[in-house]
Amino acid sequence: MPETVAPVADIASRGYAHPEVLVSTQWVADHLADPDVRIVESDEDVLLYETGHIPGAVKIDWVVDLNDPLVRDYLGRERFQRLLRAKGISDGTTIVFYGDKNNWWATYAFWVFRLFGLKNLRVLDGGRLRWAEEGRDLVTAVPRHPEGKITVRDRDDAKTRAFREHVLEHVKSGKRLVDVRSPEEYRGERMHMPEYPNEGALRGGHIPGARSIPWGRAITQETHTFRPASELRTIYQEENGLRPQDDVIVYCRIGERSSHTWFALTYLLGFEHVRNYDGSWTEWGNLVQAPVEKP
Amino acid sequence: MDRETRIAWLVDHNQRPRHRGTLADADARVPGGNPGCGDVITMYLKAKEGENRVAAVSFEGVGCTLSQAAASILAERTNRLTPTFEEVLAFSYEEMVDLVGRDIASSRPQCATLALGTLKGAVKTVEMNRKLRLAGHTDEQIAELRGAIAAQAEGTGLVIGEGAERAALA
Repeated sequence: MPETVAPVADIASRGYAHPEVLVSTQWVADHLADPDVRIVESDEDVLLYETGHIPGAVKIDWVVDLNDPLVRDYLGRERFQRLLRAKGISDGTTIVFYGDKNNWWATYAFWVFRLFGLKNLRVLDGGRLRWAEEGRDLVTAVPRHPEGKITVRDRDDAKTRAFREHVLEHVKSGKRLVDVRSPEEYRGERMHMPEYPNEGALRGGHIPGARSIPWGRAITQETHTFRPASELRTIYQEENGLRPQDDVIVYCRIGERSSHTWFALTYLLGFEHVRNYDGSWTEWGNLVQAPVEKP
Repeated sequence: MDRETRIAWLVDHNQRPRHRGTLADADARVPGGNPGCGDVITMYLKAKEGENRVAAVSFEGVGCTLSQAAASILAERTNRLTPTFEEVLAFSYEEMVDLVGRDIASSRPQCATLALGTLKGAVKTVEMNRKLRLAGHTDEQIAELRGAIAAQAEGTGLVIGEGAERAALA
């Protein structure tokens, strides 16, 4: 029997602006059979779900399921609605995201779902790793949920998604930009594999004026759960001067790590104007005449 | 092979990898990393004496299910076919994606092709070492040359060869 760790159950006492968006492993365990709760696994590792997942969980893959297959964009309303109905999601369903990589893709999926205005969204604090470390069940049986009846509205990118022209305006006006990549990427010392151009960038460095706050700083390493609000405030506000009323754009390489920081700023600290630039460095680092700062 | 069977095959290769481990008296040990996903593969290659042909390969690695399964599948294929260096270098990334299954691998091409990129790097290393020896360099000199080349490559984003593990896991 592998050694397991005790559940973390202190979300309500961590001082978050919107504590309801985070659920504990125990909450998920208590709702495995709840027909009004749909658990969604979203991973970097394309086959991790198939090796075992939370009982009843469905899989949503960020590439195959959430992206338009042709244009670099997300899917439209009709396809998104079809996807959700196929996963057994209805209007009243509470959706709980979890995944690998400290919930990168869980928060990414959460962010994409928010573009369509969905509200009953949660993230499993600590993600897949926490669930596994607590010795909880992972099963390979793929669930068959009845077709859902959700009605989805058109996608609205305005409030939480930033495009390159918005980023350029931020640079010119000196507004807040946060680069959540590793310090090596921020300094332009490391780009990506030249043999794989789909995620490569021709230039290294960062967007002028961006603060370097790697995404992982929001996580308590020992438990993989989010840090308490007081520690998050120290990192984002005291150390880096962000204020809850600021107009903030976050970015990384393709928008997955920055969706994690978007989530922390928006829901845990209560920032009201945070947008995720999903074009991120794979767009900016290839954009002709885009200003770059290095180091 | 249908999708379900293919997934089971990939998961099996991940959980029971073939040819995993070091290779005694390998002619090349080459690491490769995928910074996007944190995958690392180190490929060991033993060449046939006096021939431009692979005798055996093995690998070590950490990373996502697909990257490790692809390495196992590629190692199994390479040990079965013992291809020439030319054949390894001609085996394309597209063919690798087809080998592990385009329906799954096309969404994660870096993970699916990392092992192949690293194997190609190992073949090129053996070829280069042989040329350097023919030119009269000793093994010690070759090691020094490789160190110098690796130092020059720092900062370029290259992740096949020296420093790949550090790059991928940073």
